[in-house]
Amino acid sequence: MCLGVPMRVVERDGFVARCEVNGIERSVSLFLMQHEPVEPGDHVMVHVGYAIQKMSQEEAERVWETLDAVFAAEDAADG
Amino acid sequence: MAENARALLERIRALPLHGPVRVMNVCGGHERTIAMAGLRRALPPEIELIAGPGCPVCVCPEEDVHAAIALALRPGVILAAFGDMLRVPANGARSEPRSLEEARAAGGEVRPIASPREAVALARAEPGREVVFFAAGFETTTAPIAAMIAEGVPGNLSILLAARRTWPAVAMLLESEEAGFEALIAPGHVSAVMGPEEWRFVPQQYGIAAAVSGFETEGFLAGLHAVLRQRLEGRAVLDNCYGTVVRPGGNPTARRLLEECFDIVDADWRGIGIIPRSGFALKPELERLDAVRRFGIDREAARKRAGEMPPGCDCARVVLGKIHPEQCVLYGKACTPRTPVGPCMVSDEGACRIRWGERQGADA
Repeated sequence: MCLGVPMRVVERDGFVARCEVNGIERSVSLFLMQHEPVEPGDHVMVHVGYAIQKMSQEEAERVWETLDAVFAAEDAADG
Repeated sequence: MAENARALLERIRALPLHGPVRVMNVCGGHERTIAMAGLRRALPPEIELIAGPGCPVCVCPEEDVHAAIALALRPGVILAAFGDMLRVPANGARSEPRSLEEARAAGGEVRPIASPREAVALARAEPGREVVFFAAGFETTTAPIAAMIAEGVPGNLSILLAARRTWPAVAMLLESEEAGFEALIAPGHVSAVMGPEEWRFVPQQYGIAAAVSGFETEGFLAGLHAVLRQRLEGRAVLDNCYGTVVRPGGNPTARRLLEECFDIVDADWRGIGIIPRSGFALKPELERLDAVRRFGIDREAARKRAGEMPPGCDCARVVLGKIHPEQCVLYGKACTPRTPVGPCMVSDEGACRIRWGERQGADA
């Protein structure tokens, strides 16, 4: 539950954004991002459905790489 | 492992360490990265990586678990909780449900959710019933709960809150006779919300090397390299190794909403006891959202045994980083992910659960 996942903003409508990672889309709240503009194409760190901070694309890619490995390792351990 | 991470690992191996260094992390995310990348095997033997208090599910007081079970069994009530909470065991008679999962098997309405927004959606979809959101978490989860409250919740939604702050647990360890670590990797996302400044007391008051780190292998190793270099140079500061995500002052919207919704209170940590100013409580003007009040939950019976881990379970010392998971007599024998005894083996953030995955990965 504590896992933060970087996502790319596809579209925003008020405080709700459609965000994407690995071809999977999710609705994400931008309510905690009122202090700065968030636009389509931006990367955000998402925690329990809420963007908690903006981040660079390079940082997002680094986290995705680690998360891929984490999920692969957990699949192996659970299998 | 990516090239940059490999290069950092080589730089750490090349450091002229003169003796053992114990490095504590306080986040399940860091611990998972350590396990996944096999860092305990890859690093020089002088470096001991310790999992500290980084799992909010593991320290959620038993009285709250009992309250959640009682609410789930109430007719007309739906109990929504993060999936991790469902298998957390509470002490009790065998004839009664001792976890939310058992409450569900006994006919209680329990829904696993992944976001506070799902609790709101559930309450809107079930206007004729009461929805209770059982919310355990650290600052990164509590800020979204504040956002949920500020956006407005339906009248049939209430909250059973077990929200905790991270740094007071580290402060408590540092105040104890034997803190058990010489360097700290501070949690990146807690710092993204609250600001890295919250961790300055660690180097400034206690002379402990500290670095705020991200959760990728490269970010964690950057933090580890930073604290080891501080030790070699004989200084202690707070380094920020999580670039654009962690900024001075953290997330100002999140901090404002947290202040508007919650008071800071002394709070119970399961198996550990009361840690001063370590908990969030709903402001008096938000009392109407408090599930304990709304349903008149009597916590006295549960409170008498509050703080206890299951019999024989050493989760409390695991949470505090006093022992490694494999030093608990139940670990891997009576207690496995399939048959967990203590909360640290239940939660995805729990040190025992993560260490188990690490071991299985190593054996594979």
